[in-house]
Parts: sequence; structure tokens; C-alpha cells
Amino acid sequence: MALLDIRNLSIDISTAQGKVRVIDKASLTIVDGSIHGLVGESGSGKSLIAKAILGLHNANWTVTADRMFLGATDLTKLSANDRRKIMGKEIAMIFQHPRSYLDPSKKIFSQIKEVLPTTSVKKLFLSKIKRVPEQSTQQRIKELLHKVGIQNDQTVLASYPHELSEGICQKVMIAMAIANNPSLIIADEPTTAMEAVTRAQIFRLLYKLNQLHSTTILLLSNNFGSISNLSDYITLIYSGQTVESGSYKQIINSPMHPYTEAMIKTILEFDESISHKSQLYTLPGNIPSANQLPIGCRLGPRCPRAQRSCVTNPEPLNFKGHVISCHFPTLDENQHANTSQRK
Amino acid sequence: MLINNEFNEEKIQSPLQYTWSIFKRNSLAITAMWGSLILILITLFADYIVPYAPSTQYVKHLLLPPYWVEGGNSAHILGTDDLGRDSLARLIQGIQLTLGGALAITIAVSILGSVIGATAALTKGLKASILHHLLDALLIIPTLLTALILIVMFGPSYENSLIAVSLSLLPQFIRGIYISIENELNKQYIISLRLDGATNVRLLRFGIFPNILEPIITLLNRIFTMAILEISTLGFLGFGTQFLDVELGALIASSIVLIYSSPWLVFFPGLAIFIIILVFNIFTEGLRHAVIEGEDL
Amino acid sequence: MLNYLFRRLNLLFITAFILSVIAFILTYWSSKNTLADADAGYIIQYVKYMSAILQGEWGLSSIDQQPMLIKGLTAFASTLELCFIAFITANIIAIPLGIFAGLNRNSLLDYLIMTIALIGLALPVFWLAVITTMLPRLLGIPLPIDGGISPVFEIPVVSGFILLDTLLAADTYQLDAFFNRLAHLILPSSVLSLFLITEIIRLTRHSITMVMKSNYVKAAYAKGLSRKEIVFRHVLKNALPPIIHQLRLQLSTIISFAMVIEIVFSLQGSGVWLLSSIKEGDYLALPTAILIISGFILLSSIFIDILLMIISPIKRKSLYVD
Repeated sequence: MALLDIRNLSIDISTAQGKVRVIDKASLTIVDGSIHGLVGESGSGKSLIAKAILGLHNANWTVTADRMFLGATDLTKLSANDRRKIMGKEIAMIFQHPRSYLDPSKKIFSQIKEVLPTTSVKKLFLSKIKRVPEQSTQQRIKELLHKVGIQNDQTVLASYPHELSEGICQKVMIAMAIANNPSLIIADEPTTAMEAVTRAQIFRLLYKLNQLHSTTILLLSNNFGSISNLSDYITLIYSGQTVESGSYKQIINSPMHPYTEAMIKTILEFDESISHKSQLYTLPGNIPSANQLPIGCRLGPRCPRAQRSCVTNPEPLNFKGHVISCHFPTLDENQHANTSQRK
Repeated sequence: MLINNEFNEEKIQSPLQYTWSIFKRNSLAITAMWGSLILILITLFADYIVPYAPSTQYVKHLLLPPYWVEGGNSAHILGTDDLGRDSLARLIQGIQLTLGGALAITIAVSILGSVIGATAALTKGLKASILHHLLDALLIIPTLLTALILIVMFGPSYENSLIAVSLSLLPQFIRGIYISIENELNKQYIISLRLDGATNVRLLRFGIFPNILEPIITLLNRIFTMAILEISTLGFLGFGTQFLDVELGALIASSIVLIYSSPWLVFFPGLAIFIIILVFNIFTEGLRHAVIEGEDL
Repeated sequence: MLNYLFRRLNLLFITAFILSVIAFILTYWSSKNTLADADAGYIIQYVKYMSAILQGEWGLSSIDQQPMLIKGLTAFASTLELCFIAFITANIIAIPLGIFAGLNRNSLLDYLIMTIALIGLALPVFWLAVITTMLPRLLGIPLPIDGGISPVFEIPVVSGFILLDTLLAADTYQLDAFFNRLAHLILPSSVLSLFLITEIIRLTRHSITMVMKSNYVKAAYAKGLSRKEIVFRHVLKNALPPIIHQLRLQLSTIISFAMVIEIVFSLQGSGVWLLSSIKEGDYLALPTAILIISGFILLSSIFIDILLMIISPIKRKSLYVD
């Protein structure tokens, strides 16, 4: 079941030099209850896609999509009011640099409180009469914090964001995100600039959420290695074009796109085949700047397999859920026979 | 919409070209830019433009209204004052003195202020602290009071009023420059430049200056606007130009008794100040926007 | 917190010292011929001068032999009254407009508001005051354009704030004197408030725009809060401190303009007092004015600093940093 289904999402940003197409026909299908990794180098447009899903774009963006569905709701046709009802309840987002996403002039308590559904007057009245044990807000917030692994809740709740570390702020952000049990959580590089222990904690937390509440998580990352063992499905994005997408096994065992192959080779493993101090494999060149994008397949200039036909956009090919956009994919027939047999 | 399938032939623009291409789109700002240029040209060549010598008295034509009002004379387009002097000529001379003075002040204050502000920001310790407190003290004396003190001590004249206005604006400019450099100094790229062994001058020229363009433009605009207002205010109070040469504020003050019989004598100089400030403000605002937008990407 | 207060007080003392030196130099300069012990060193003279100032002996006016301190304070109180009324009016009008412009950036109304603000900035205050003095006669509005209060009322000076004094003297004139004073203040304060309105609109709009661009507002949108909730819960509280901070820096400009307006409307106050004193050669008014006016600005800016620190947790953060 696809929870989030995006087809041919394009984002154009108008600049003084004309429009720049930063996201070029990206497609993304997220299966309900899975952790979906969206991997791309910084500047490849991961955050832009996330912001487009949430509708948090600036005025100079033009967002077009053939299809953008969350469950049964069409995100492209939502009014601002309806979108507001979905946000925080259906989709929640966790940002990188969490501290800047918390209001500096308010204590954590009141910031978490405003996410919780307000008890309506009617409900309050009913609870008074029927003596239904209504959980107090205080109690709920405390539970939320415990859930994300914050023990000293009293101190944290009475603090301002600038008094807390980035790791704690991120946990608070996660607590706010899961407050309403959303069906989809978008985590935008949630562990940038955090030390290894906190990073592991955050990832474990997200994993637990996924396992216990079957919350779908879209995990954005620039590091293939750090999220690959966490994700059920992976989509790779390069310069605003989705390159390859498939299940974890498909991507790791039989990468078909030259970019994916290069990315997998960058994962550091304690592999005997890599000799000490040998040079690690990378693609030649750099990510092109937004005002000098190559035409057609944007990997073209860096691709070891590039040929003349690469100046046109490749049509996405679908091999049993394994989608690639490449003119010359690695089509190892045996391998494919194997994967299909395993299924 | 096949943006991706055609190659963008344009070269990557330098930041300056990019800012200019943003600025160019703002037609109002372009108009204001030409307006500012024309005003500066008037200031520079006022002596050649004036239709009559500003101090010549046409005794036959006293208190003429502008020519489009009944009783006006097309020889004196904006009419004459109570001594029969041509209003247009006096207005142009007034613009020359006020705008020229303000431009001179802006240039002088910005050069002097940048040097002092940069030195203060780059030096630490006692010297900086003394300067800081001195600036604080000077900042809290109202500008009018500073000007009054200087004029009382050195006597009222146009030059002294200019000096007084510059001295009252200088602390503001130094403070502004100081704060923006100080903000910039704490950033990582400045530290890396320092570690490269850049000298202070190099640090300022290549590291700091390009990044504080926007506050500098705002500051210059503010200094210029305040200079115009203060020069004319001092002139209005009678502490500026004396006798024949008259700037806009003094022009208003001298005609204030005639406000009911010929209001245009008061009206036109005020309008001139208004237009000068408006035109320069729109121009710099457009420039500031272009710089901000250019920095955004 | 104590450390911060200490630093502020430190600043207060050093700045006050510099001010007093300036005032001393001026006094010395203005009375160099009449000073009794001119042979004594500068430092001794300064100490003597300061002890006299601290005892309230600020010298006598050469015009009417009245004590300078009383004259200066009375005049400045009346200036403050004008500033205060203009400030209140300006805030009531400008803050909502500025917030509106900042929230609806680049809308038609935003352009309209900003155009009005730009026009207000470009109009020279004294010229606008002169034009305003014409208004009552042109439009037939019965508003006084001259003086601070009608001379028929003899109001004893108690606080120096004439509005207050007229209320205190209500036994003799009921509220007539009060309303008469108010009528005299309407035109001058509207001219001053027009300048203030343009400043406050500009500052508010800028501050609101900055906050609206910030990440936590984006996060608030992502939380599903409505625009109204975001503005009231997150934007206003964060936008206010920079506005207050900037207005603090404008304090001396506001007082300068108030003095010019007073001169045009011949409204008693420090502007008229200073101008007439200088014209009569009573230069002792200058150091007195410096001490009173700048002293007031100094004290109020420190007060505002402390207030800002209390209302804004972000400012408080900087306490720990240095």
C-alpha cells in the first residue's frame, strides 16, 4: 500500500536569471509502515521535496506534480485550511538544526502544549459530569518526553531552547512530531552535527517508532551508509532527479544505476579487499551548481557510462518495484532472475 | 516547460552583474536612479543652469506668483519673492547648497567613519573601550544640541553648520559600521582568512566589506537623509547660510512671514527637500533589495 | 544578572562622566571671564563644578536671574509631554499598520502603507510644522497654533508637565485649562507623531518580516497552527524586542525634532528656551540642556536595556556568553 505517492514532481525557482528547475520530475512512492530513505548529496534537493510535500514553499517557487497523494487526499488540491488540518496530525516533520526550529522566546512546555489537541469545552464539560479520568496535559507531555528518552522532564520543560543541547532539542522535536500519532513523519537529516551517541539514540528512537506504532518514516540523508541499514526502501536523488529507487535488498544487491553503484562503493566497510590507505572510489567531478545544470540526465558529465543519448531525459524503467532512470543501466540478467526468484 | 532540455547559454554572472540584473527589473528604482543623477548634476552645474543670478532683484516684479497662477509671468516661472528675486534661481541655488552639503557630509562622514569604525572593531582592549564609551556619550546628545553647541562656539555660518551636522552624524555612522564589522568578525570564514595570515586591510577589503554591503547602504541612506533634514533645519533656525547664499531651510524661514500672501515661497523649497529625500530613498531601497536578493542565492 | 546590571551601571557612570566633562568645558568656556579662581588647575575646577552640580547649584540665568536647573527642567518637562503624546499616538497607529505590512509583504496594502511611510520620512519636520500652522485658517478648524496654553490661565508649576499641572489646578479653572492645553498640543504632536509613525512602521515591518522568515515559524506551520495562532503565539513576542531596541536609538532624534516643532509652534519647551537663551547670550543654558536632556536619554536607554532583558529570553542568553 502506498501511503505517499508522488509522480513527476517538479519545482522551479525563479531567479534573476530566469527559472531554474531544481527538482526535475522526481517520483517517490512510500509504502505504508516502512522506513523510506531518501539519499542524495547536499544540494540535491531532498529538503525541497520535503518542503513541497508539506507545502512550506516560498512565493518564488512553482511546484507542479502529476500526482501527489497522501493516502486518499490529493496534496496538490488542498486549500490552505485543509492542509493545516493535515499538518501535525497526518504528516509531521523533524528538521535538521532543531534548535532554530524552536521558538526562542517560549519555554519547551508551552511549545509542546500547543501541538496537543486542545480539549474542547464540550469534552471538558462531559469529563466533569461523567468523571471520565481525563489525562492531564501535564501528564501527556511527560509521557511524550519519556517516550523519546528524556528523563529529566521537569528541567527540560522549564527551559528555553537555547539552554538545551541540539540532541535534546531534536528529541523534543520528535516528541512534538509524534504527539498526534501522525501516519507519516518526514525526518530531514535529523542527526546532522550531532555526536555519534546522540545520533544512534535518535535513529534507534525513529526505528522504535516505526516498529511499535508502525509509523511511516521518510528519512532524508546525505550519507548512504548511515541510513541504509535502517531503511526498508531507498530512493536516490541526484541534482533534483530521482535516480534509482527500490527495496533495500534490490538497491544493495543489484544496483543498476552508475550513481548508486558509486554510492554503495563509498560505504566504508571492514572489507579485506580494500588495502590499507588505498584510494576510495568516487565519481569524478562535483555536483553541478543550480545555474549550470547539464541537460538531460544530470549525472551525464560525471557518468562513466555516458553516451550521446544521455542528453535526453531517461524514461524511468520499472523492474518489479525497482525503478531506475538511466539509458544504460547494469542489466545483469542472472542477478535479476535471482531476485525475482527470491520474491 | 522543457527548461531542462535546452542548454542555458548564459554565463555565470559575477555577484555585481547579478545584483545589477535584479536592480534593473525594478523600474521604480531605475527611475529614482536617473532622478538622483539629475539632482546631482543640478548640484554640480547649478551656476550654469540658473536663469537669473539668484541675488538680482527685479524691483518691478515683487512677489510674482508662479506663471500658471493668475498674475504670473513666464519670465519668472516660479515667480519672485518680496525683494523681486527669481524663485527658480534661488531654489536651484538652495538645492545646490543643501544637496551638495549633504553629499559632501555623506562622503566625509563615510570615509572618516569607516576608518574609525574599522580601527575600533579590529583593535581590542583599552583603546576600543574608550572609543566605545565616547561614542555612547556622543550618541545620546541630540543632534540639534550638538549643532547648537558648535555653532554657538564658532559662530553661525554655512560651513560651520556643515561641520556641526557631520559631527553629530559621525558617531551614528561609526556605531553602525562598528556593529556590522563586529558581527562579521565572529564568523568562521573571517577566522579562516585570519589563519591564512591575511592582514587587517586585506581582511576588511575581501572578507568583511563585500558581506556588509547591505548595512552600509542602509547606513549611507540614513546619514544622507538625516544630513538633508539637519542642514535645512539649522538653516531654518537661522544657524546656517547667512545673507545672500541661501539654502532650502533658510529659504523657507525667510518666506515664512509671507506664508498667507504667497504660500508658494514656502511650498516649493519644502517640496524640493521632499523630492530629494524621496528620490534618493527609493534609489537606495531598490539597491538594498537587489543586494539582499543577490545574497540570498 | 547582577553582573549584567553592574556592567550597565559601569557604562552609566563612564558615559555620565564624559557628559559632565563636556558640560564642564562648555560652562568654563561660556563663563571664562567671570570665573573667580581661574588660576586653579582644571581638575580642581572640575571637582568644584561637579560638587556644585551635585548640590543642585547649576548657576543662574543671565536673563532673569532664575536658577538654571529649574528653568531647564520645566522646559524639558514640557518637551517630554509633547514627545509622550506623540509617541502614544504613533504607536497606536503605526504598530498595527507595520504588523499588517510585514505579514502581507508585497501586497497592494503593503505598498500603500510603505508609500505613506516613505512620504512621511521625506517630509522635513519643520516644513510640515509650518504648513500645519496654516491649516486652521485654511480649513477653518478652531485649533490654536501658537503657544503652549492660553495666557488667561495662570497655572502654578508643580511637576512641569503642564497637562498634569492643569489637572492639579482644577479647583480654579475646572477642566478648561486642561482642554485648552490639550488643544494646543494637538497640532504639534500630530506633526511629531507623523515622523514617529514612519519610523515605527518601518521598524515593525522589518522585524515582522525577519521573524516570519525564521525557521521556528516554518516549524509552526508544519505543526498545523493557523496563521493567526502563529502570529499571536510566536511572531509578535519575538518581533517586539528589536523594535524597542531600535526606537531606543532614535530617542535623541525624536527629542531633536520635538524641539524644532516647539520652535515653529512657539510652544514653551526646551527648544524655545534654548533658542531664546542663545539669542540673548545666556550660554549657560547649553551645559544645563546637555546634562538634563542627555542625562534623561542615558537613564531611559539603560532602563530600556534592562526592560528588554526581562521581556526577552534571547537577550538573556547573551548574558551567559560574555
